[in-house]
Amino acid sequence: MDEFQTGEETAFVVDEVSTIIKESVEAAIGGNTYQHSRVNQWTTNVVEMCLSQLSKLGKPFKYIVTCIIMQKNGAGLQTASSCFWDNSTDGSCTVRWENKSMYCIVSVFGLAI
Amino acid sequence: MSDLAKEKAARLLKKRGSLSSLGSHDFKAKETVGKTKDSISTVSYIDEPGHHDDNPRPAVQTENTYQLSPIRRFPVTTVNDILKDVLASYLQEEKYEAELCRQMTKTISEVVKARVKELMIPRYKILVLISIGQLSNQNMRVGSRCLWDAANDTFSTHTFKNRSLFAVANVYGVYSE
Repeated sequence: MDEFQTGEETAFVVDEVSTIIKESVEAAIGGNTYQHSRVNQWTTNVVEMCLSQLSKLGKPFKYIVTCIIMQKNGAGLQTASSCFWDNSTDGSCTVRWENKSMYCIVSVFGLAI
Repeated sequence: MSDLAKEKAARLLKKRGSLSSLGSHDFKAKETVGKTKDSISTVSYIDEPGHHDDNPRPAVQTENTYQLSPIRRFPVTTVNDILKDVLASYLQEEKYEAELCRQMTKTISEVVKARVKELMIPRYKILVLISIGQLSNQNMRVGSRCLWDAANDTFSTHTFKNRSLFAVANVYGVYSE
């Protein structure tokens, strides 16, 4: 295959993505305490912001962004993922964020086109 | 090279028109070298559009397939059945326990990935995401959004619940050319 673009410019850079996620979560939720009525809006905002920032990177990727927001009351939560993809180009990044009243787990998967 | 063969090749070339590319020419030329110097003659035998090699991980340089869309779409309902089946069989009798569920998420995601891979859907990347949580009157919301080609990429999701735990499973099928 001919490789027209190589290197940093078109790779999935985890650091870059994790920064985007953290900023999005901070911006969307920030210091708020858990409010049932606003969770829907928050999840939407987080994924929306992540996606718009990711698309601004202008890299040849398809992105999948998922966001889980859970109220803190002692209950546990486990998540795992497994993928069938091209290890050399595709990548994922998961950020766990929490404040006093809730957990927020955001995963971003980038699949090269 | 007999006249008959030349004629046939010329006819095929004509039929394919602009589809015959330099790439396929070179490929075939390598194979026929030694037999004949007139390498262009046998170009068209391989790779009529529609009859192509579906190997998702080509070990060698392959020919152009001229295939622009999936021949088989990601079977959402079949994948959904797999999810239902796997989640029910693994979690039906389980009680929430942190360590067990940690293992369980990993096992289930691997099993689901393997089952979906067995469907042999060419050109699709598979992404499996499993969350297992304890049921204790808390509230939780899972949301996801994707930047992809809505025409070919798709997902399947299933939620399972028993007395002490819940599980959310998402499978994404992403078409890659």
